[in-house]
Amino acid sequence: MKTQALVEWLSRGAGPAPRHAVARRLLPAAGIGVLFSAVLALTLIGPIPASLYATPVPWMKLGYALALAAAAGWLTAALSRPVARVVRPRRAVLAVVSAMALLGVAGLLAMPAGDRLAALLGHSWLACPWNVLALSLPALGAALWAVRGLAPTRPRAAGFATGLLAGALGAAGYSLSCTEASAAFVAIWYSLGIGLTGALGAVWGPRVLRW
Amino acid sequence: MLDDASPDDFESGLKPLWLRAQSGDEAAYREALGRIATRLRGYLRRRLQSLPDEVEDLVQETLLALHLQRGTYDPTVPVSAWVLAIARHKLVDLWRRRGRRDDRHDALDDVDEALLVAAPEEGETRRDLGRLLQQLPEAQRRAILLTKVEGLSVEEASQRTGASASAIKVQVHRGLKRLAQLVRMERA
Repeated sequence: MKTQALVEWLSRGAGPAPRHAVARRLLPAAGIGVLFSAVLALTLIGPIPASLYATPVPWMKLGYALALAAAAGWLTAALSRPVARVVRPRRAVLAVVSAMALLGVAGLLAMPAGDRLAALLGHSWLACPWNVLALSLPALGAALWAVRGLAPTRPRAAGFATGLLAGALGAAGYSLSCTEASAAFVAIWYSLGIGLTGALGAVWGPRVLRW
Repeated sequence: MLDDASPDDFESGLKPLWLRAQSGDEAAYREALGRIATRLRGYLRRRLQSLPDEVEDLVQETLLALHLQRGTYDPTVPVSAWVLAIARHKLVDLWRRRGRRDDRHDALDDVDEALLVAAPEEGETRRDLGRLLQQLPEAQRRAILLTKVEGLSVEEASQRTGASASAIKVQVHRGLKRLAQLVRMERA
């Protein structure tokens, strides 16, 4: 086939370009991801006592996870297009992580020095990052699949952003099962789990995000 | 179509056409893709001096990718930068399949539209898209043949096949996606 014939062919009956192509692939993947992580957390690990919902404990974690998911989703959307405009979404990701870190530091400073280590490590610091990572895997699969159907031209960066998004969604699910109360715990161990998922995305990105 | 103007003029001529094409103007889309094809050819000829036989095939593969991904175009970005980023991606993909490492000095999104020189005269292809079309599933192939080759409207194609208009649209899109996959697989 001649190239000019292909041009005729592609334009014939082409109609308008699909609108909101990026959101229409990413949002359903994110929805599936957060649903899976919530269901897995509630069934495999078990729910936190309902009384905790009257305290700020789960809301702080959910707020952090969902704010980070929004920022990382914005970054992923940017990196799903050729010529990615990443400056502002990257700033948003850093702002969310920094805000949580500040909250953690403020919480530590407000308590007696002797309690700080216990607040930092809680009773589950060893398990938390791995749980977040494990609960993020369905979201990571769904989101990588979504991004692969778009046009990422920087696969490693796009994979990392996708991993952060998935990690944040996994953390949102985990917050339904996690009884840790201190902001410092969340700032460190949740962020570590999300970062691990990001690293996994960066490793898989160049392999998976081919088109 | 014979556009020897400078790259800035290329962008300023292309952008309004492209925006009209994005909102559904078919004639503008045809004209824009035609102009883009001549620039892609010039760009890829320079970058593929060791593989001149691949140039026209890669032009076609890039056009197919542009079409499938036109929904990812962001109007705040120059069209030529967007086109170039996709062309680079396809070029790196070709090198990788040929077992060569990426040119690491050549950042993927580094956009220099001066690279898009015009080359209107078409070269030979090694692969025939028409032949690859035969490998598509029946429904997809038929939807493409009716709307793209015979030039029927979606409604006419729907009447001819008994499938709904939205099903025809989906089959065309899936078929073109599948075609793009076959193109990549065949080159591997």
